[in-house]
Amino acid sequence: MLLEIDGLTKHFGGLAAVSRLDMQVNKGEIVGLIGPNGAGKTTVFNLVTGFLQPTRGKVVFDGKNITGKKPHVIAELGIGRTFQLNPLFADFTVLKNVVASFHLRPKSSLLATYFNTATYRRNEAYILEQSREILQLVGLDTVSDELAKNLPHGYQKMLGMARALAIKPRLLLLDEPLAGMNPDEIDFSMAAIKKTRQQGMTIVLVEHNMQIMDLCDRVVVINFGHKIAEGLPGEVRRNEEVIRAYFGGEYVA
Amino acid sequence: MELAVISLVNTLVLASMYILVALGFALLFSIMGILNFAHGAVYMIGGYICYGFAVQLGINLWLSLLLAVLIVASFGLFLEKFCFRPFSGNFDRTIVVCIGVILILETTVNLLVGYNVWSIPEFASGIIRIGAIHLSAERLITFIIGGALLLIMVWVINGTRTGQQMQAVSQDPEGAALQGISIHRVSALACFTACGLAAVAGSLMGAYLSLTPFMGSQMLVKALQLVILGGLGSIGGIFFAGLVVGAIDATLPLFISGAASQAIAFGIIVVLLLFRPQGFFGRKSG
Amino acid sequence: MDVMDKQLSIRNRNLTKPAVYAGLIVILSLLPLLIKSPYWLHVFILIFIYIIATVSLRVITTSGQFPLAHAAFMGIGAYTSAVVSKELGWTPWLTIPLGALAAMVIGILIAYPFARLRAIYYAVVSLFFGIGVLQILFVFEKWTNAYGGLIGIPYLLGATKVPYYYFFLGLTSLCLLALYRFEFCRIGTNLKAIAQSYMVASSVGINEARYRVIAVAVGCFFVGLAGATYAHYNVVLSYTSFDMLATLWLVLYAIVGGMGSFAGPIIGTAVLMVVPELFRELKEFVPFLSAGILLVVVFLMPQGLVGLPQLVRSWIVRRRERKAITHAS
Repeated sequence: MLLEIDGLTKHFGGLAAVSRLDMQVNKGEIVGLIGPNGAGKTTVFNLVTGFLQPTRGKVVFDGKNITGKKPHVIAELGIGRTFQLNPLFADFTVLKNVVASFHLRPKSSLLATYFNTATYRRNEAYILEQSREILQLVGLDTVSDELAKNLPHGYQKMLGMARALAIKPRLLLLDEPLAGMNPDEIDFSMAAIKKTRQQGMTIVLVEHNMQIMDLCDRVVVINFGHKIAEGLPGEVRRNEEVIRAYFGGEYVA
Repeated sequence: MELAVISLVNTLVLASMYILVALGFALLFSIMGILNFAHGAVYMIGGYICYGFAVQLGINLWLSLLLAVLIVASFGLFLEKFCFRPFSGNFDRTIVVCIGVILILETTVNLLVGYNVWSIPEFASGIIRIGAIHLSAERLITFIIGGALLLIMVWVINGTRTGQQMQAVSQDPEGAALQGISIHRVSALACFTACGLAAVAGSLMGAYLSLTPFMGSQMLVKALQLVILGGLGSIGGIFFAGLVVGAIDATLPLFISGAASQAIAFGIIVVLLLFRPQGFFGRKSG
Repeated sequence: MDVMDKQLSIRNRNLTKPAVYAGLIVILSLLPLLIKSPYWLHVFILIFIYIIATVSLRVITTSGQFPLAHAAFMGIGAYTSAVVSKELGWTPWLTIPLGALAAMVIGILIAYPFARLRAIYYAVVSLFFGIGVLQILFVFEKWTNAYGGLIGIPYLLGATKVPYYYFFLGLTSLCLLALYRFEFCRIGTNLKAIAQSYMVASSVGINEARYRVIAVAVGCFFVGLAGATYAHYNVVLSYTSFDMLATLWLVLYAIVGGMGSFAGPIIGTAVLMVVPELFRELKEFVPFLSAGILLVVVFLMPQGLVGLPQLVRSWIVRRRERKAITHAS
């Protein structure tokens, strides 16, 4: 088991955003975390990646308790993530966004970096090559010299994923990877996610778009911070509580 | 006993003046998101304008005060429209504009005044006796005007529609705009009020102490002290910090040298900031 | 062919830039042969010193922090070096690095608690710290003679200007080289990444607090160095050189030149320090001149003075276009 969430709870003031959530993710799986707006999906991501401190509960990654660790430590342990509102290094080019995200592997010491040693230069050359590869994977190699802020929305989302891949994660958390994309971009992004998965990546994703459920091996549904269903995409789609809580009549067909 | 009462009165006088200036500074920060480094210069110019009317032109002192406040408050409108609004949210460029304003105001005053130290005539003269205690009427009137204005400000901010609009803008400008609140109107009003208050303080302090071209930067430091100690955005915090800083400034010099008392005051504040960078009352800024 | 072109142009640029800098240094080294006036040498020396200060200030801002205590750190360097060399009789060559280190250590000490604060809060709190730290001078009045001004500081290179001119030309060039490398290696990239989005930066494993402290440490070291060398050049120190207004002036030099580029603070410092000297006969009206420059830059040049050539170019292009259109019609 790669990620184990155990009784995770987060209160904001008196409000429970996430409440006693249990969830497991196995190596090589794609797990969908779905639920209506405000269900607490993004909060779960923020708790797992250390951007928020849980009120109670435990997060174990690859046998290591990572509850309450700082975001950069969790990144170093191998969890990459994207963000829903997709902040970027807006004034960097696309390529530089990815290059800058290669902070961890390989890592040069401060002194080696400053004094431009042979090791540092070798690392940087390797990083450049790897960054180009990642950009090719997510289909951004044609715009690698554009400033990130000038990219269309869908491309920016893909850049977010490219950046997360740059830390060479073992687990990838994608927060609404398809939000705001047009159909072409959606097809393209889904293909990229599939490709990443074929390379052995474990992925958890939060999404509203139902298309993505076809990619998932398993789906966890939460509402008001509680888990209300879990299972294969097909099963969940037929689950009545889920239909009531989330899909509403019109989506079922 | 007498010493205690006198330092209490001095504390209240200084505190009310500091708070008047700091309140305006904080108003501009929370509503427009700018640090108005020119606020001290505005305070200074208020004092000099009042002096100009009262002494040079021989107009009635209270009328001079009123004129000075109106002129400086209108200057606030000018500042808002031409110096702050074009750069709203741009911290760097606001600093440059503010320093430009400081340079122009201070140089103008320097050219007109030279090295003369002037003082505005007393707003009230005589000594008031309460039992064995003698108090100058000047101090009392300073405190009374300052205190009354502060009470009015608290009422305006908490009790009136305008005040509620100001609070709405400071908490969530976009939401406030959606509700049909004119941000420009609120900002202009804030600037008008803030500069007017500074002018009152400048005139009163010009009578209580004296006028110097440097009084602006001294007061700016005080306003910053209050705003930071109280926590940016907390009005209650500013009042509390004003009393603390006023007490330090009014009392400590009676016992130790001025320099040492300032050093102690700053020492306390720096230590406090190391442990509580958000000030006494500030929210955690995350 | 496109790629070839690009590579060629990159190679060209790689050669032009160092050539321009080398040329500039050569011209500056020849300057004392032309300018005999000690007054103007003094102005140039001060510009060299303040360039170190403003460029080091900008290094801190690349990490998204806006420090408003920078002149105070210059003061820490200056007074540490001055007092130690004067009271203990150490040679300035030893006390200058000591002063720079003192500024750096104090910078690190405050950077940790303040690393929690963002943007404008950091600016305000650091401004206040700058005012507070200066009060230490008044506590140690015995050594610093804060009110009257500290005098009798040992000279670094004697009383004539020319040796200092070359010393500071060399020192400033070295400091700029060091800071340039700092900004344009991965460390600087990380700082800029943090400034653009601290969330994304930490999600890719950049330790935000650590890098912010590094930026402050480096910035404070160099400004401390500038202050310490200034102390042994000027041999008289007054606390007004390091107070809040002095800090704001440093910020101003940097902003007017342009915070967006490495050259910005250099140009800003040079222009804002030279122009008032050129118009010295205006005397007490000089501040109006400075204020005028500030307002022109802030209203017309959003990128600062470094943006001027681009501004002029786009203006010419627009004019030509307009001409072409009128000719056509």
